[in-house]
Amino acid sequence: MSFTFRLMLRDIRSGDLITLLMALIISVSTVTSIGLFIDRLQLSFEQESANLLAADRLIRSDELISDDWKLEAQNLSLEQAERTSFTTMMFAKDSLQLSQISAVSNNYPLRGAYLVDDTLFGTGQSTTDSPKQGEVWVSSRLASLLNIDIGDEVEVGEAKLTVSRYLVRDPGSSTSAFAISPRAVMNIEDLAATNVIIPGSRVRYSLLLAGGRDTLAEYEAWVKPQLEDGQRWQTPAQRGERIGDTIGRAESFLLLAGTLAVVMSGVAMALASARFVKRHLMQVAILKTLGATPKLLTRVFAQQLFALLIVGALIGLGIGWGIQEIIASLLSSLVSSSLPEPSVDRLWLGAATGFISMLVFCLPLMMRLIKISPLSVLQPNAKIEQNTVFVYLIGFVGMYGLMCLYTNGFLLPSIMTVVIAGISLLVAGIGWLAFRLGRSLTSGATSGWQIGLASLYRRLVPNLFQLLVFTLIIMLTLILIGIKSSLIADWQQQLPEDAPNHYLFNVQASQIEQINDETTKLNIQKSDWFPMVRGRVTAVNEDTVQDLYPEERGEPELFERELNLTWSDTIGEGNELVSGDFSAEGLSVEQESAKEAKLSLGDELTINIGGNIVTLPITSIRTVDWGSMQPNFYLILPKSVLEDYPANFVSSLFISDDSAQPFYRVMSKFPTVSILNVGDILKQIQTIIGQLSQAIQLVLLCILSAGALVLLASVRSTLEERLEEGALLRVLGAKSSLVRQALFVEFGALGFFSGLIAAIGAEGCLYGLQVFIFNTEPSFHLSLWLFGPLIGVCVISTIGIFASRTVLKVPPMLLLRGL
Amino acid sequence: MATNTAIRVRNLTHTVTSNTGDLTILKGINMEINESESVAIVGSSGSGKSTLLGLLAGLDVNTSGDIFLYDHNFSSQNEEQRALARGEYVGFVFQSFHLLPSLQAIENVMLPAELKGDKDARKKAEALLDKVGLSHRLTHYPNQLSGGEQQRVAIARAFASQPKILFADEPTGNLDEENGNLIIKLLFDLNKSQGTTLVMVTHDNELAKMCDRQLVMSAGQLTEKTL
Repeated sequence: MSFTFRLMLRDIRSGDLITLLMALIISVSTVTSIGLFIDRLQLSFEQESANLLAADRLIRSDELISDDWKLEAQNLSLEQAERTSFTTMMFAKDSLQLSQISAVSNNYPLRGAYLVDDTLFGTGQSTTDSPKQGEVWVSSRLASLLNIDIGDEVEVGEAKLTVSRYLVRDPGSSTSAFAISPRAVMNIEDLAATNVIIPGSRVRYSLLLAGGRDTLAEYEAWVKPQLEDGQRWQTPAQRGERIGDTIGRAESFLLLAGTLAVVMSGVAMALASARFVKRHLMQVAILKTLGATPKLLTRVFAQQLFALLIVGALIGLGIGWGIQEIIASLLSSLVSSSLPEPSVDRLWLGAATGFISMLVFCLPLMMRLIKISPLSVLQPNAKIEQNTVFVYLIGFVGMYGLMCLYTNGFLLPSIMTVVIAGISLLVAGIGWLAFRLGRSLTSGATSGWQIGLASLYRRLVPNLFQLLVFTLIIMLTLILIGIKSSLIADWQQQLPEDAPNHYLFNVQASQIEQINDETTKLNIQKSDWFPMVRGRVTAVNEDTVQDLYPEERGEPELFERELNLTWSDTIGEGNELVSGDFSAEGLSVEQESAKEAKLSLGDELTINIGGNIVTLPITSIRTVDWGSMQPNFYLILPKSVLEDYPANFVSSLFISDDSAQPFYRVMSKFPTVSILNVGDILKQIQTIIGQLSQAIQLVLLCILSAGALVLLASVRSTLEERLEEGALLRVLGAKSSLVRQALFVEFGALGFFSGLIAAIGAEGCLYGLQVFIFNTEPSFHLSLWLFGPLIGVCVISTIGIFASRTVLKVPPMLLLRGL
Repeated sequence: MATNTAIRVRNLTHTVTSNTGDLTILKGINMEINESESVAIVGSSGSGKSTLLGLLAGLDVNTSGDIFLYDHNFSSQNEEQRALARGEYVGFVFQSFHLLPSLQAIENVMLPAELKGDKDARKKAEALLDKVGLSHRLTHYPNQLSGGEQQRVAIARAFASQPKILFADEPTGNLDEENGNLIIKLLFDLNKSQGTTLVMVTHDNELAKMCDRQLVMSAGQLTEKTL
């Protein structure tokens, strides 16, 4: 057995290496579990969003999609499916109805599932089948409009198809609000027989793709440069901006949480390494007197660290994997959908954390250990050669590097580093003042207060360092709790359970009253009616849109297409005035679109409404809450301008599952009215939000546990001195209660000040995070200021007294001998 | 160098830097110690005895002059070379024992032999602990031993590498009279039986008198005390 191995076994027996190993395991397992879990969540979100797209990626084209593109996808072994969508008349018996038809290949959808039913207006069962050749699935609304049942025959162009199911949900259906006719799905093999697609027909061709992330990225890089006007590359994230936004914020939170875990891991490693080195200084000096050369010692410690790294990383990775499995299984019992399997290749992050932590926190201290002069055995107070600034610098740079590696960017790590540096200064300032003041107010050693406060000042530097560690951990906890609460509250506020899930379009003024009566009877909540007139912006001030954008590329959305114009007496729910004055007789523009088109108050827009030209100055700019699910408009025009044009009306409604069937039946009385059901998207968002809320709470719990362990490690790192002092006090006749009181004062004061500084830091960070990262309204958190110091005092003194309990129980002689 | 000279010191000066400026602790010391000799270095506290001992054992580097330990000139060697020389020639006994707290008595004694890669380390350590009367305490940890027992383990450890020179820094300084006497007896017996050169720093006149020679350290100068 080698000398290194024998020494290591002895160190393990004494517990010193175990402390270091534990810190390494905590580091690796925390980062691994959170990294893997976040990866699984991301995969899950992608899948959820992919369900809306019916694929992982999609190419949409107004022209037939080139065979070369399909061939390339085939070469890359990507799954592919096709969908051709068009609007045409569907004939049945004596009826005809304009319908939105999708002709799909047999393997459609690649992601997600159809919801179909055999009963008219049924709620549907999920299926991944698609219509067979000769069959068509029609929506209940279309069936009722055509007065047909399952088994009946319909005609699409020249093809005759048999209705085999009622379509409840089409996974890749367009959510475009203004081309909504009742839907039907048929097999793409029947498309040629219909003869409905002739040159000039408005058809949308889609090539759906599914496969590995890397392969998709490779295909994207190949195909994107070939896209022409009228062709688009779509990703799940683009599909639902609301989901994208929600996921984005959650990912920011999880990323932040993970980064904080990295910081905590770093602190744990630094503390454990410092303790290891401190306890080994004399041992190395003795070994040197016995003839151990620096080369031998370097080899011994390098081998020890390497063995420690391998064992710690393997155990940490195993535990990390286990923890994320537990979190995932807890989560799967809370939400309906299950998470995809984690990717094994994400394990490198945990292993890298272990390696880098070892390299930056452990190695420099070990090198210092090896440099200790053997003379220390004769002169224990001999100055140990140390380059503290260098060691701290390496640790700091290493921590920053780890955060960059983890977040794959510089912004968040840079912000965190500045914050930590600022907090360090604050801790040094406040701590020094408070401890000094505490000392000057007390003298003597007759009460626990005096002894405790005196101890704080006497061990000023170690106590300030400990104060910093406590502060950072409490602050990180407060930040996470603060963000978690505000994110969840924000989401819940955005999407109340009764958020509108249907829109009614193309409603004529004469139908409004009847529809109002019917919805009232069914007890359905409904927004106001908004009139809509179509119009197109043709000029800004003196310049026509053609002059401004001659190549028809890069046009702002406001000029790109015909818009729905409305008028309103009030600014409307969810809208906020940014500048100007909102009045029923003014022109109001939505802020983002105004920004994109570089419009400001006073600019004149020329709008073509049904062939008539009107020119109006912009009198107000407002923000719109697109997430409110209320009808929203880019442009609100004066009533006097629009009221003479024929308008149709739009409204949004919340329809519960129970009232869906009666509602659809009633609406079949209004065949010209279009209904858009966004309930599926909403449900999907609500599922994701539910999943996210649970996920971030569990991640928070995980981080808090890691934080508690780091606190314990920090207390342990200064325990020996406290034990020695406690033992001496007891030798001198102090009662246990006095020693306990002194410990409580010392830890309590450390806890109070760390909680207080943490509250200051957390409030500042939350402000920054809310404004710059999460894009939410900043708010003041009174609870932080109460809970920060309270948590500090309770947690730190509990952990401190728990860790120091030996001083109160074990005979002082034993303690003094063991030190 | 004559073969019977274990230690030779020429014009040894040692200066340390403190807050108040440079302080010269040893001022031009010359001395020789022969093989198997026992030498006591005596003097008041702060006179530089331990500093001299540290330099003679190669634990520190002198400011100027030469220190020869057999054919090793410590003044021109780096720490790596000095450590090898210590492993080859030197054993230590300290006032505060300096046993490794995480190792059992037997493991402490095995250390020097293990560092040399000796396969019989355990057997030799057991024999040495038997010699110092601690064969019943092999697996005890230092904090489970009395002061006298700890120092006996330290002596066993010092002789484990069969050193040619044994440096002892106040070996009885932390012990009562009875234990002190036991330690002194052990030290001199082993010294004689193994033919070791003994260099000892002590305050104890009785102990110093037992040595072949006494060197007095005073104000950084070393003088021979005529017996």
